[in-house]
Amino acid sequence: MSTNTKPLSGSKPKKEKANIPVTVLLIIGSITILFPLYMTVVIALKSPSSMTNDIAGALSLPKTFSLANFAEAMRVTNFWRSLANSVIITGGTILLSLLIHSMAGYALGRAMGKSKKIRMVYFYIVSGMFVPFAILMMPLVKETARLGIDNMFGVILLYVVFYMPMNVMLYSSYLKNVPVAMEEAADIDGASAWKTYWTIIFPMMKPMHATVAILTALGTWNDAMTPLVIMSGSESTTLPLAQLNFQTQFGTNYNLAFASYLLALIPILIFYILCQKSIIGGVANGAVKG
Amino acid sequence: MRGKQILAVFTALTTALSIGSLSGCGTESSSGKTVIRMLQYKPEAVKAFEEMEARFNAAHDDIELKIESPNEAMTVLKTRLIKEDYPDIVGIGGDINYSNFLDAELFMDISDFDGIESIKPAYMQIEKDLEFIPQDGIYALPYVANAAGILYNREMFRENGWEIPTTWTEFNELCQTIRQTSDVYPLYLGYKDTWTTLAPWNALAVGLSDASICAQVNAGKTTFSEGYAETADKIKVLLDYAEPNPYAYSYNDACTAFARGESAMYPIGSYAVPQILSVNPDMDIDSFPFPANEDEADNVLNSGVDLQFSVMKECKNKEAAYEVLRFLYEDETIQIYLDDQSAVPCKKGNFTLPSMLDGMKTYIEADRMSDFHDHHYPSEMSVDAMIQTYLMDTSDNAAGTFLARFDSEWIRYNRDLIEKVRKYEEGQK
Amino acid sequence: MNKTMSKRTKTYLLMLLPALILFIAFNTVPLITGAYYSLTNYRGYGSYDFVGLRNFRDLFQDARIGKSYLFTFKYALCGTVLVNVLSLLLALGLNSKIKFKNTLRGLYFLPNILGGLVVGYIFSFIFTYIIPTAAKALGIGFLSSSVLASEKWAWVGVLIVGVWQSVAMNTIIFISGLQTIPTEIYEASSIDGAGRWYTFRKLTLPLLLPFVSTNLILSTKNMLMVFDQIMALTKGGPAQSTESISYLIYRNGMDGGQFGFQSANAVVFFVVIVSISVLQLVISNRKEQQL
Repeated sequence: MSTNTKPLSGSKPKKEKANIPVTVLLIIGSITILFPLYMTVVIALKSPSSMTNDIAGALSLPKTFSLANFAEAMRVTNFWRSLANSVIITGGTILLSLLIHSMAGYALGRAMGKSKKIRMVYFYIVSGMFVPFAILMMPLVKETARLGIDNMFGVILLYVVFYMPMNVMLYSSYLKNVPVAMEEAADIDGASAWKTYWTIIFPMMKPMHATVAILTALGTWNDAMTPLVIMSGSESTTLPLAQLNFQTQFGTNYNLAFASYLLALIPILIFYILCQKSIIGGVANGAVKG
Repeated sequence: MRGKQILAVFTALTTALSIGSLSGCGTESSSGKTVIRMLQYKPEAVKAFEEMEARFNAAHDDIELKIESPNEAMTVLKTRLIKEDYPDIVGIGGDINYSNFLDAELFMDISDFDGIESIKPAYMQIEKDLEFIPQDGIYALPYVANAAGILYNREMFRENGWEIPTTWTEFNELCQTIRQTSDVYPLYLGYKDTWTTLAPWNALAVGLSDASICAQVNAGKTTFSEGYAETADKIKVLLDYAEPNPYAYSYNDACTAFARGESAMYPIGSYAVPQILSVNPDMDIDSFPFPANEDEADNVLNSGVDLQFSVMKECKNKEAAYEVLRFLYEDETIQIYLDDQSAVPCKKGNFTLPSMLDGMKTYIEADRMSDFHDHHYPSEMSVDAMIQTYLMDTSDNAAGTFLARFDSEWIRYNRDLIEKVRKYEEGQK
Repeated sequence: MNKTMSKRTKTYLLMLLPALILFIAFNTVPLITGAYYSLTNYRGYGSYDFVGLRNFRDLFQDARIGKSYLFTFKYALCGTVLVNVLSLLLALGLNSKIKFKNTLRGLYFLPNILGGLVVGYIFSFIFTYIIPTAAKALGIGFLSSSVLASEKWAWVGVLIVGVWQSVAMNTIIFISGLQTIPTEIYEASSIDGAGRWYTFRKLTLPLLLPFVSTNLILSTKNMLMVFDQIMALTKGGPAQSTESISYLIYRNGMDGGQFGFQSANAVVFFVVIVSISVLQLVISNRKEQQL
């Protein structure tokens, strides 16, 4: 273990020299990602008739540079509408998750130590993570249809439930490193637990909110199965649903599909970079000090 | 106490959510027309169906046809069934899904439909054979079929003077000639995708074993060890003529390799042609039935129903559904489909067959066809994976092991069905 | 004091309520429904019969199921270890003072968001064409044919891709975990002249422990439920050597007509993983409390 663990916080005032060996190692490691990425881009730029099984041919740049596949992929997937739906679903899931899961994570994290019953509730929710989706699928299809929520709203609610175990676990483990002293002080000042939560704890968990947001987005953004079975072929398609267009039983248009996947990658990548800033920048060092 | 509170909130929430639910599945549209909803499972044919829909609606002011062609249609259809949100007509494949749906009593008897006589009896028989328990009445109308055997590179054959083989011996000789006199592989196999093993398997099996073998096994009259022995032997021979280690190459790899002229032949169905042409649009592809036997007269073309229509039992307006079916079976409508997708029409009459089926034409015209055997295999048994396992097994008794396993697994996976069939047979006596 | 405590507890319960309602409605209720189907021969539609415990009896006699358990656990064990070690290293690296920090962080995040179709195609190409060609050129015999076509080694191919994709997620969690560690601790330790390894072991790691156990559970779960990579790379082959439990539950339960039987499989699988992870949680909780 030669990596430098020392300068951990970005908020350090004094300038330190960049760690060159670690940078070099990370760059070397990133080849395992850059190479597949390069292949994806090259394929997305080519036409099906230049697909080949020989390595030189597959890795070579296209003879003429054209973004036609991207335009065609956008047309086939009805890009802007599908994108809007995907954003609504992922965004809605994240918002609800941040509210509902953080409250639950906080309540469980704080009360768990005192009450065995609450600890059982924690295990109960966390164990939900291990339920194979396939067993839930058909009952959920029936249930959402009965409740009249076999639409985007229903998909959002289901995602909120699917990611609840993970997020609750993340929030409560984050709180383990946050001393209770602060809440106790607020308590003595006469603030209610509810108020303490929203004014002190919730803002302080910003880095964890960002983490939860990005991890939840990761799961929902590329998922085709849940919207497929819940909305079962209704008008509103999401990006992953529209991308099923490129695959039929006996043929796949890899070139269009890859172009489409690259396009779908951009919004989530931007979102990740924004979240990263909050994860790192929003460190509540002062609060942690207690 | 607290439990009760939670329950109360839960109930309130559930009720709140269910208000304003239940989208109507009525058959009347706002304009007073009868609506016929159809779900068909071939998204690649969406353009043809959109045109059919437009033409039908232009010609009818009392019925409105709505055709859906969703991706992953079988999953969508199953979820619709769970939601009890039934379409009126379904367009699906003639495979075990149909058998299961029929067994679940989802379809309507349409034996009084007036267009039945115009359909080729061979395909009507294929539909009949898909019934687990022989039914009175007719539940499916075959629309188009596909065929499987061997695709070959017509130009390459012409240049080298290779002849289309008609017997197993000729086929072996041809493969040896290709291997010795040219630098291409006789065959290319994409066995990484296990389902592709079923292509040669079916094509051999139709010529070498009885079409009703599965039903016979269910009735206890024969075993697969007996019926499939020759098929199992011959499918293994193909490995000698293909690229080494075919388990490394996918369906897509094989399509690309064949399109790029790396092999002279490709044992697969006509459904692969669009994928091959996407790589090499100018390629001249033809096909021939698998020459499985020593006597050409024993050979049978492997052809099955690719698209068929059934009317759901829940359909409220049978007459309107029939009107739609009548329209679908008009020659001009079928031609819309054929122009868009290369396929074999199941209706009698003079349709132009796509050129890649030239070598199969005489078989199609003479009704010398038999259904894909795997249309009778339960998909959860994964016969394709079993075949792949067998082909990779290099031990001496590989075939014996495989066939014994086929027999024993068949009984396990079809337990309920076999019981049903035996009960039915006893009732018949 | 006692009064405020109970008021506090009440607030906690109130905060828990929305989550609990949703969880019961969309996890527990359908789970119970699904578990009921495990006692039937339901196909997913149409009529069905109650068959008692027959599905469970079959389950324990089914060699294919047994094989899928072996594969899944072998895969999960190796995967969990690899993912956690790699993501911890990556998190430490990406969290230290490096050049191109944002670019590198963005890059290492990418594998997780590439769709299954892309991953399947690219890695199949690498395993089928690039590695064997390179191995032949270098004279490495055992890599000269595709690992994905080897009954013995295909699982390693799937594992490589699975780890490649999962590392991003666990890295994110470790990075945010590292933010909770106050910098003063390091300053104190560097004043004491403690070495880097010592600082890591005695300071970073203990404070990171809640995140280590979270990550262990999440990655165990992800690895045990391996499905996407199998669909993308091998579809259970070659020779049925990479059929995971989730793969069987999904393929045979949803696509095939084995919904009832695979529900039984899912129930057993669920019980098995819950037991494992409860054990994990108990052990790591004990560890945390010791420190």
